[in-house]
Amino acid sequence: MRRFKHFDASSLDEAVSLLARFEGRAKVIAGGTDIVGTLKDSVLPEPYEALVNIKTIPGLEGIRNGAGVLKIGALTRLEDIAHNETVQTKYAALAQAARVVATPHIREMGTIAGNICQNTRCWYYRCAHNRFHCVRKGHAAPGQSLECFASDGDNRYHSIFGDVKDCLAVNPSDTIPALIALGATLKTTKRSIAVKDIFPPSDEPTKMTIIDSDEIVIEVEIPEPQASSRSAYHKVAIRKSIDFPIVNCAAVVDFEGDVVKDCHICLNAVHYKPYVPERAEALLEGEPLTDEQAATAGEAAVWGAKPLPMNSYKITMAKGLVKKILIACREAG
Amino acid sequence: MRILRFTVNGDLVEIGANDSETLLEALRDRLGLTGTKRGCDLGACGACTVLLDGRPILSCLLPVWRVQGRVVTTIEGLAEGPKLHLLQEAFHMAGAVQCGFCTPGMILSAKAYLDTNLNPAQGDIREALAGNLCRCTGYVKVVEAVKLAATWMRDTTEREAAR
Ligand code: FES
Ligand code: FES
Repeated sequence: MRRFKHFDASSLDEAVSLLARFEGRAKVIAGGTDIVGTLKDSVLPEPYEALVNIKTIPGLEGIRNGAGVLKIGALTRLEDIAHNETVQTKYAALAQAARVVATPHIREMGTIAGNICQNTRCWYYRCAHNRFHCVRKGHAAPGQSLECFASDGDNRYHSIFGDVKDCLAVNPSDTIPALIALGATLKTTKRSIAVKDIFPPSDEPTKMTIIDSDEIVIEVEIPEPQASSRSAYHKVAIRKSIDFPIVNCAAVVDFEGDVVKDCHICLNAVHYKPYVPERAEALLEGEPLTDEQAATAGEAAVWGAKPLPMNSYKITMAKGLVKKILIACREAG
Repeated sequence: MRILRFTVNGDLVEIGANDSETLLEALRDRLGLTGTKRGCDLGACGACTVLLDGRPILSCLLPVWRVQGRVVTTIEGLAEGPKLHLLQEAFHMAGAVQCGFCTPGMILSAKAYLDTNLNPAQGDIREALAGNLCRCTGYVKVVEAVKLAATWMRDTTEREAAR
């Protein structure tokens, strides 16, 4: 593993000033399950020089149920979210998503903020010793032009909604679709921002989020869903444990009798950022949620998809998943 | 190198460690506790499982500085002298060990789970062990062993309660 310095921050101010001092060459560590792997494998052309441990900062952990809003501290472990009774009953999609992240051990270590901010799993990008110095990593040597190795390579797990500045990597988070469907907001040391807005514009795809290198997530806030609404989440992966999603999806549907009053759907692992299928949402609203409607929404959800040579199966999967999740919301009542 | 203190298997230890060292490296290479196995070294196999304050974590992904002042249990800390822990006994009895490489991690994951529930259903055990890969046993006997250990541990607790 590449050498780094390890700092234990005792306050947010201290952590922020350490991060600022290293000008992008230091990274926050919480659970460490993503960043330690990256450093061990020397994935990046310019590895971080320092890690700033924020687990030593008091008050960033725990779930608080306040007036109409659930507050989840950034360092709350995924295992604790999965087993929290309030989350299980009122925010079911999030509990279901947290429960299927990786393995029990990783859920004991990994935090909600880490799951939101995690790096991509593109196997060219993550290949050890920076073997594939790709377009996402940037910093071309003079005369070198960077490419996306997935575009001509094995792209079975890559984007079905096209490249962004040539990069085909996807966002692999399990919890993000649930958080977006539930309308969650992040509170950081710099701002308050909806989770759906933390992703970079398509001309800056090398970053997973727009959170700055000296910015720290403090809390996730989720407004309490309407009593008449139901949510669900499901992930398709190769094995039931350990694996990242091939496609995952969360939905929150608010019903008036059989009729859909309001509906939020979010897919992930299909594009460089989470994908909200607005067409599908729009066609569901004001109509009864029949099996046929759910299937039509599935079709609409993948409208405009541009599969790669090896991943058109993901389109079929995404369609089926949207249908399944919508029916799960209907049946959950 | 800096000096770091933590508790391993009931003993307070003080070691010098580098900033970029993992708990797994410190346990194996500095403390000689080689019962904790290095499998994938990337967080995917569970062979390096240890208990940190009683919860199962992957020592290959944990910078050693994170255990400062905390309590670590490795497989070496389970037996009491020559007397094996009931889980170890049960793995032996049920034939849940072949090459044995995954066994320390399996047993520690199982221990963390049984410490919260001595009445596990088959599915609970499988889920608790979902992060531990085994290339030999096919898992059936491992799950049986944990069930057996749970029965024995229940008996022991009941006997102790009756006393
Ligand atoms: S060695 Fe740590 S998970 Fe495989
Ligand atoms: S007994 Fe050989 S890996 Fe499990």
